[in-house]
Amino acid sequence: MSKDTGTRFLEQTVTVRGLRKSYGGRVVVDGVDFDVAAGEVLGLIGANGAGKTTTVECLQGLRRPDEGLVRVLGLDPVTDADRLRPLIGSQLQDSALPDRLRVQEAIDLFSSARARNADELLERFGLGKRRRSFFGSMSGGERQRLFLVLALLNQPRLVILDELTQGLDPSARREVWSAVAQLRDGGVTVLLVTHELDEAEALCDRVVAMRSGAVLDTGTPAELVSRHAGWATVRFGTAIQESVQLTTEALRRLPSVQEVTSERDQVVVRGDRAIIAHVGAWLVGRGSVPTDLRVDVPDLEAALLALLDTPADLRRPALAPYVNGASR
Amino acid sequence: MTTTTPSVPETPQTRTRPRSAARRLLTAELRLLVRDPLTLTFVLVFPVLTMLIIGGSFGTSPDEAFPVNPSHWYVASYFTVVIGATGLIMLPVHIASYRERGVLRRFAAAGFPRWSFALAQLFVGLVAIAVAGAALLAVAAPVYGIPEVQDPLRVATGVATGAVAFVSLGVLLGTVLPSARAAQAVGLLLFFPSFLLGVGGPPPAVMSPLLRDLTEVLPLALVTDSVRDPWLGLGDANGSLLVVAVIALLATGLAARRTAL
Repeated sequence: MSKDTGTRFLEQTVTVRGLRKSYGGRVVVDGVDFDVAAGEVLGLIGANGAGKTTTVECLQGLRRPDEGLVRVLGLDPVTDADRLRPLIGSQLQDSALPDRLRVQEAIDLFSSARARNADELLERFGLGKRRRSFFGSMSGGERQRLFLVLALLNQPRLVILDELTQGLDPSARREVWSAVAQLRDGGVTVLLVTHELDEAEALCDRVVAMRSGAVLDTGTPAELVSRHAGWATVRFGTAIQESVQLTTEALRRLPSVQEVTSERDQVVVRGDRAIIAHVGAWLVGRGSVPTDLRVDVPDLEAALLALLDTPADLRRPALAPYVNGASR
Repeated sequence: MTTTTPSVPETPQTRTRPRSAARRLLTAELRLLVRDPLTLTFVLVFPVLTMLIIGGSFGTSPDEAFPVNPSHWYVASYFTVVIGATGLIMLPVHIASYRERGVLRRFAAAGFPRWSFALAQLFVGLVAIAVAGAALLAVAAPVYGIPEVQDPLRVATGVATGAVAFVSLGVLLGTVLPSARAAQAVGLLLFFPSFLLGVGGPPPAVMSPLLRDLTEVLPLALVTDSVRDPWLGLGDANGSLLVVAVIALLATGLAARRTAL
C-alpha cells in the first residue's frame, strides 16, 4: 500500500477496500470494503468469529493485512503506525489494565502531549470520585467507562470501541450506552464493534453486517430492517358476536396482507409494513377498534437473523422469515 | 465530507511539560513493582530469609566443603538468588499476565513507542535486583558480615552481566508462556532446582558427581560462579562469565524482538 494512493481517501476518516487476512490457512477477513465518514458512528456487527475484531486490528495497525487497502485519516496503519496510533482512541476487546494501577495513574500513563484535562472527562463519565481506586477494585461498568475516558483522553480523531459492553449487566450496559451517545452527540467519529444488535440499533448511524469475514450488507439500521425484515404482524381479539371467518376473509382482501390466521381468540395478520396502516384503517372503518390491538415489527436483530439465514445469491428483501417467528 | 472530525470541546492541559511515553511507562511499572506481592515475596523476602537460615547453618570456619567462611560463602552466593528470582519468577509472571489480559495490545494501540515496553522491563528488572541485592547485604552485614570483595571489577561485571541475562530471560519467558499461571508454574520449576543446585543449596564439594556436573551447566549457577569466585578470591570465573555474556546477548536480542509493541 503506497502513501500516494492514500491521499485519494482523505474525505473519509476510514477507507477499507478488499481487506483480506488469514491466520495460518484460515481466512478470517475475506475482501471487506467499507468507509467511515467523519462524525459518523459506524457499527461493525455480526456473530462471534465474523472477523470484526481482526478488521479493526488492521485499522489500528496491530495486524498487517494480507491484501487490500486500508487508510485511516489518510494514513497507512502499518507503515504510518507511529503517526496514526496517537490519533486513534481505542477500547480493545478483552483488554484490561494492571489490577494495582489506580485510575489517576492510568490517566497519567496514557496522557500524551495532546492530552486534554482528564478531570472533566472523569467527572463526565462518573469517575470523579474514583481517582484513587485501583483498577482491580472497579466494577465492570466503571472499567468500561474508564476505558472510554482513556480512549478520549488524547483528543482522538477516531474512536474504536470493540465489544464495549461485553459481560456487563443491563444497568452497566445502559451507563456505557449513555456515554457513547454523548460521544455521538459531540460529533466524534466512532467505529463500534459489537455483536449486541440492540446496542448497534441504539447507537449507530450506519452498520456493516459481517459473516465469515465478509460484508453481508451495509446501511442504516432502519434500512437493514427494511431490506431484510420488512414484515409486520398485527393481532387483535375478535368480539364474540363476530364471525371469525368473515373477518378473516375481509382482512385477506386488504393490500399487502400475506397471511391471516386465527390463533385461539385472536386474529393474526401478517404481511409487509403497509398492513399496519391498512388493518388500522379497516378496523377504524368498521367502527370498533379492539382494545387488545398489538403490532409487532422486527428490529435489527431480526433483520440480521434473516440476513444470516438467507443464501448469498438470494440476499435481497424478504418476507419469508416472518413465518419463522423472527420478529419480536 | 471532510477529514476534520468534530471532537468533544477541548479543555486546556493541566501539565505544562508532558513526559515522554517511555518515561510514563517506566514510572507506572516502577509503581506496580512495589505493589506486587509476588515480587516482594520472591525477590525481596525469600532471598533474605533463606540466606539468614542457611548462612548460619554451617558455622564460620572453612572446611572440606567450604573453601571460605560458610556464612560468607552464602552471603556472596545469595546475591544471585535475587537475580534468579527476578528473571525466573517476577518478570515472566508479570509479562505473561500483561499478555493474557491484553495490556500489551492496549499499550501498542495507544501509540507507545515500539521499544518502550522492553526498555521499561529491563530497567525495572535491574532496579528490582539492585534494591533487593542492597536489602540482602544490609541484613547480612550485622548478622554474618559482608565478605571483602577481592576483585570488585569482575564482581561488578558478573552482577551486571548476570542481571541483564536473567532479566532478558525473564522477559523472553513472559512472552512465550501462554498465561500468568503457566509462567508461575514454569518459573518456579526453573527457579527452585537452579536455586538448590546452583546457589543456595549444599556446596558443590558435597554433591554427587552427577549433581556437580549439572550445576556446571545451570545458567544461574554460572552467574553465581562469575560473582562469588572473584568476590571471595576463589578464581576469576572467566569461562562462566563468558557463557553468561553469550546468554545475555542472545536473550536480550530475542526479548527485545518479542516485546516490540
